Parts: sequence; C-alpha cells; structure tokens
Amino acid sequence: MASSSSNSIEEEATPPPWEKLPREITAAILLKLGAVEILTTAVEVCTTWRSVSMQPSMWRYVRMEKSDVEWPHDFDDLCRRAVDLSQGQLIGITLKGSGTNDLLLYISQRSGQLKHLALVNCYDITGEGVKEAVKNLPLLENLYLNHTYIDVEAIETVGRSCPLLKFFILTSFDWRSGESDEEALAIAQNMPGLVELRIFGNRMTNVGLKAILEGCLHLKSLYMRRCHNVNFGKLCSERIKDLKLDVDSIKKYEEEILCLFAKCSCALLRSRSDAKSEVSLTELLR
Amino acid sequence: MAAETGTPTTLTLKSNDDELFSVAESAAILSVTIRNMVEDGCAGGVIPLDNVDGKTLASVITYMNGISAIPADEEKKKSYRDKFLSDKDFETLADMVLAANYLNMSCLMDAVSAKIAQVMEKKSVGWVRRKFGIENDYTPEEEAAVKEEHKWTFEGVETDDDN
Repeated sequence: MASSSSNSIEEEATPPPWEKLPREITAAILLKLGAVEILTTAVEVCTTWRSVSMQPSMWRYVRMEKSDVEWPHDFDDLCRRAVDLSQGQLIGITLKGSGTNDLLLYISQRSGQLKHLALVNCYDITGEGVKEAVKNLPLLENLYLNHTYIDVEAIETVGRSCPLLKFFILTSFDWRSGESDEEALAIAQNMPGLVELRIFGNRMTNVGLKAILEGCLHLKSLYMRRCHNVNFGKLCSERIKDLKLDVDSIKKYEEEILCLFAKCSCALLRSRSDAKSEVSLTELLR
Repeated sequence: MAAETGTPTTLTLKSNDDELFSVAESAAILSVTIRNMVEDGCAGGVIPLDNVDGKTLASVITYMNGISAIPADEEKKKSYRDKFLSDKDFETLADMVLAANYLNMSCLMDAVSAKIAQVMEKKSVGWVRRKFGIENDYTPEEEAAVKEEHKWTFEGVETDDDN
C-alpha cells in the first residue's frame, strides 16, 4: 500500500483485497483452516493462496481428521501431500480416525525432525507399524497412542529409538484378562527420560508400577485409568507431583492433549521476537 | 470499563487518521509493537500507529482493556475473546487482523485468524472467492492441474510396502 504522506482525507476505509494481505497474515489464517481444507480448497482459490499454502513452514504441524475428508479426496493421499510439502520440516502430526502402517512409515521416512506424534483412533495402524516408524524418529518427544495397541517389543523399540521421549500416552485397552507387568517393565527399562505418562487400560500390578517409578526417575506426572490390578496406597504419592489415578474421562484428556499439540506447533510457528522457539508439551501442561 | 484505581501510567496512542486515545500502559503493552516503543522511550509523548485507523484502534483498545482486566485464567480470556469477536462483521475482521499483526498481539491475531478461517470452513472454492472478493487468477489449464494435483495424486506412485 502506498501511503502518500500528505493526503488530507484518504479514502482508505476499506482494507486491502484479501489476496493482497501480507503473506504472513494469509498464512496465519490458512493455518487455522487446517491441513485438509488448505489442500482441498485454499490452494484452488488463487495463485497467491496457493503459493502461501506451499511454503514448508505451513506444514510443520499437521492435524488430519478422517471426518474432514470428503470424496473424492483420500485421507492417506492428503497426508502424504502434506508430508511432501513439509519438505522434512514436520514437527508434529496428529492422525485421527484413519491411516495405515504404510502411511505412518511414509511419514516417518520423510520427517526426521518429528517431535510429536499422535495416533487417535487409527484402528488400522498396528504396534508393528509404530515399531517400524519410530526407528526413523530419533527426535520424538511426545507419543500419543489411542487405540493402537503396542506390545512389549514395540515399547522397547520406541524406547531405544527415541531417547528424547518425555511424554507417553497409551490409551489402548488391553482386552486380555489377568495380570501382566510386561509392558510396565518395558516402559520402566526403556523409557528412562519420561516426564509424563498416561496409561489407560493396562493389566499391570504394583510390581509394574513400582518398576516404572524406579526406572523413570524424571517422572512428574502420572495419570492412570482402568488399571484395575494396581493397588495404589501410598506407593507413588510422595514422588509424583501430578498424580491422577482414576481419570474419569478419556474424551476430556484426548481433546486436552490434542490442543496442547496444536499449541506447541503454534508456538513453533510464531518464532517472532518474544516467542520461545521451543516449547515442549510438558511445559505447556503446567 | 470500570475506572482504574491508581493507574500508574497512561499512554496516548494516535491512529493514522489522527484520533488520540488514552490507554493504561499495562493494557497497551499487550502489543509488542507498543511495548518496544515504550522501551525505546517513546512513552512520554504520543505513540503514532501509522497502520491502524481510529475505528479499529478504538476496538483494539476495548479489547486490550477487557483482556488485561482478566486475571491469568486462560478459559476466561478465551471466552472474552470469543465474545469480543462475536459481533464483528467480516470487513471489521479484516481490519482487526491487519491491526493485530501490525501491533504484534499474538493472542488477538490467533483469535481473529481463527474467526476468519471459520468463515470459509466447509465452503466451496467459488464461495470463498466471492466472500473474500478474490479474483480467480488461474488460467483454466492451471486450475485443472491444481484440482487434479490434490485428488488421487499418489496413484501409481511408489509405495512403501516392505522396506
């Protein structure tokens, strides 16, 4: 906009045309629109919006929900497109309601910077898929698995492959009955850096819980639900500051966690003067 | 706004159409742009805001006062922001987003961007163009290519079966 200095009454009441907004504003708006709509609508609106949409910085955090994807678009294809556009700069991704092991592998092979991974109701993604993917994700800090059951071997692989892992949420109900501490022991032995753990629907006993407390010395926050074999007593109350042993609703936490994921990414994107360039999920939980 | 008790410092802000506004420094420095000016020693006189008109600035100041009166409670701040933006029409939102960006107010910027994005949610490309007054500057060939690109792009592309 040319701002001629000595105009007495300028007829500039109307804002500039939308496609002429500074790119950073267009980017901020489109980011709010979300990945699916950027790829299916915004890119077609005009060449400016397309070029803004193609910037890798627009694709550092991607949240894809199956319910947002309509025919003729395909969930996996859109995810792959988003990952391609990120050009390796992807920091966080949330898949909700769809996705396959192949897709997860595709993402992991192209996203070595990934810190946050959330798989929510991705029923086709298996523990095996997670196991293969995390091998490519050495910087992973936050892993949220909902309804993706991972076995001991996969937990071990996550622990070994992702030494920076701080935040682990496993809300995958184990349908088997009886007691078993093998997963808890795997966490205890392979995820020493955990700061926050949320584990819902696990068969562990006090032995497993104790192992976790002894193995994960940085643990500050522990939420558990439907871990019926654990008899808490005073077991962990002294050490863990933020302890919730019978969390009432998973739904509530699911949204909370995803919001935090989004906040992390926004904080990353807003790498302006005063904003911290690095904000971990753990910090945001305070 | 309620009368401020023992207001420490008041700033005078000037819009690009020469309107003057008084605002408590504690509220005004929600704007990083203003905060920087204050830190650079401009606070004594009038702070000129060349990219914001009086109408928009008045609205932004209402927001500054409102939000800074709320104690550190993110829920309440959010509901204030929602309420603040709920009666703004589309053109006003455009002014607000420019102002929020210029004033470097990240929370307002976030909220206004989200509100604008909400307007185009689930809308067709044609609808968005009309609403935002954007001309289709694609050639028909380009447009067809863009449409195709985002459909079944990955058919036939190498898959990552077993590695």
